[in-house]
Amino acid sequence: MTALTGAVLAQNALSAADLPQIGAPAIEYGTLSPVLAITATALIGVLVEAGAPRRARFGLQSAVAIVGILAALAATVWVSIHDLGKVSFEGTDLLARGKTVAEGALVVDGPTVFLWGLLLVFALVSMLMFAERGLEGGLSGFTGQAAVAPGGAGEREATMAGIEHTEIFPLAMFALLGMMVFPASNDLLTMFVALEVLSLPLYLLCGLARRRRLLSQEAAVKYFLLGAFSSAFFLYGIALVYGYSGSFTLAAIDTAVSNQIAGQNLLLAGMALISVGLLFKVSAVPFQAWTPDVYQGAPTAVTAFMAAGTKVAAFGALLRVFFVGFGGAQWDWRPLMMIVAVLTMVVGAVVLIRQTDVKRMLAYSAIAHSGFILTAFAGAYEGSAGTATITSVSAVMFYLAVYGFSTIGAFAIATLVRDGGGEVGHLARWAGLGRESPVLAGVFALFMLSFAGIPLTAGFMGKWTVFSAAWSGYAWPLVVAGVLTSAVAAYFYVRVIVLMFFADPEGDGPTVAVPSVMTSAVIAVTAAVTIVLGIVPGPVLDLAQNAGTFVR
Amino acid sequence: MSMVELTFLMLSGVAVFSALLAVSTTQVVHAALWLVLTLGAIAGCYLLIGAEFIAWVQVLIYIGAVVVLLLFALMLTRAPTGPDSATTTSNRNVAAAVSVLVAGGLAAIMVSGFAGERLAPPRGGVGSAASIGDAIFGTWVLPFEILSLVLLAALVGAIVLTRRGPERDNGAPGDVPERAQH
Repeated sequence: MTALTGAVLAQNALSAADLPQIGAPAIEYGTLSPVLAITATALIGVLVEAGAPRRARFGLQSAVAIVGILAALAATVWVSIHDLGKVSFEGTDLLARGKTVAEGALVVDGPTVFLWGLLLVFALVSMLMFAERGLEGGLSGFTGQAAVAPGGAGEREATMAGIEHTEIFPLAMFALLGMMVFPASNDLLTMFVALEVLSLPLYLLCGLARRRRLLSQEAAVKYFLLGAFSSAFFLYGIALVYGYSGSFTLAAIDTAVSNQIAGQNLLLAGMALISVGLLFKVSAVPFQAWTPDVYQGAPTAVTAFMAAGTKVAAFGALLRVFFVGFGGAQWDWRPLMMIVAVLTMVVGAVVLIRQTDVKRMLAYSAIAHSGFILTAFAGAYEGSAGTATITSVSAVMFYLAVYGFSTIGAFAIATLVRDGGGEVGHLARWAGLGRESPVLAGVFALFMLSFAGIPLTAGFMGKWTVFSAAWSGYAWPLVVAGVLTSAVAAYFYVRVIVLMFFADPEGDGPTVAVPSVMTSAVIAVTAAVTIVLGIVPGPVLDLAQNAGTFVR
Repeated sequence: MSMVELTFLMLSGVAVFSALLAVSTTQVVHAALWLVLTLGAIAGCYLLIGAEFIAWVQVLIYIGAVVVLLLFALMLTRAPTGPDSATTTSNRNVAAAVSVLVAGGLAAIMVSGFAGERLAPPRGGVGSAASIGDAIFGTWVLPFEILSLVLLAALVGAIVLTRRGPERDNGAPGDVPERAQH
């Protein structure tokens, strides 16, 4: 205890001996700087909301968000250079690099930093979509006033007065903060807190669409109720695992699991409940029911942010919990995860074929892709020092990068195909898009080819890496199932391309809105990445491979 | 069976009984009041296992704030509070069957995990305010601080969902929003 606090206590006529001593916690501010930068951005956003004049607020908020994300990206690069020291165990260097920070609450290791970088880049392009105001006559794609009834006079007044919700930017920053903490958590309690930080703002953002507001509000309520339900499962699972192992920390759980310290029933039930919570977030079958409705109802910019960001965060957390915490029990969870992976791929791909709405189609596509990622997870190939075979962790991270860019790009294009009532959802109305706007249809076709996994697109490299990781982990039935369902899904993706280029338009055909530079930039960047990762995947693949394994 | 265990059993019985009444009563205010009894009995259980700080937090937050907030919400939204105000759906029986199954499953897991455990008389120190404070502001300081951001995000969200713009501040209090047109 310092002299200063001692003096204060003396003034208050309390004896210092009566009080327990609390040492100051050790917080590595430098290593935490990406997370702190996003926290600061969110808080500045709240202050701007309180202080800035209404007319200037939207521009200011988008600028704050984008600058904040860029700062966090720079900090992430700095951390990746300075703070990823090798981890040694009994004199030999392990594959893992990094360290635990903030009294063991977070672990900043190779995968964490890679996922942080991905999340920040995805958030950056999503914020450009949030900030797009060229499509609704100078207003954003979010409702002007969430409190007024859909279709009522209040809504028209708000639109006439040009009122906009600018709180979307701080809310998105809060969600981003949760996404960054989620896969970096070193214990289940921090992970649960991060899950709530990431979910709550997303529930809200889902209900704020400018068009089709009832659908949007329904999506938000559905997502909220099911999400709260899945959080409860997650929490109950944490309680059971705590009951089994006596600790929240993943490393301590690992020790308990390896030593089989108590009856296995508690552990098995705890693992099952925790996996329900996590599989819900990655929309794996049978916990996928919310995905199509929420993806369809939410404002498209939010759907893009959620589809890419939540998937990265949730898969990162899933891998960390099961590889680090439950690694010793992998013969218990792997068979079940294999079944989930196959189910997810099959249901995603088969139901995909019957879709007629673009955003629902992308939702089922998201489910199918979760299945492909789960193959690498269920393969659980952890690599060995000295070999260059891609590990499950690296494969999942590379696939997340590939999938995130393609899906954000596809949703960005979905915001541009419009008619008088807003975005055109029905796929039949996309017929003839190739004649109306060859470039846009061409780029959308590129994303479809990438989703299908055609060579020379990023999607092919992604599928190659996850299947090869699953193969190395002796999960060859998953590889067979993955290739077959890829073929089924490819049939649908190719049909969309045929529809756009070779079908006759219905009536006047779709119109393509001319976006501002923001959405154009999003589409250009995502398309470029999709091509580059397909042709020269080396650098990013190396980055994912060098990230190594988790620090325990 | 020791005195502590006997009291624990009685309190648990009260908690389960009042919880069942809370979900089966047809009056929504009664449900909230049965909830007070449930939460209070659980607070007693916490006290018996030596978690004194958690017990008082349970009383202050759950009974003092959450249930009171619930009653306020019922009052302010002018929701019906008379008989049959707690609406039930046709899925009632299915829901009951699922809950019984889940409760049975979880109970079986608990029994298999903790069957041999005996309840010792509470020791001082483990669940005291001092040790909880030490843990929260030491080991758990980061998640604790992040939790405050959940509250901030919820606050911002509540403003988004309820605030009407400055142009529409002429509405009378209790102004009913227009119905959707279809």
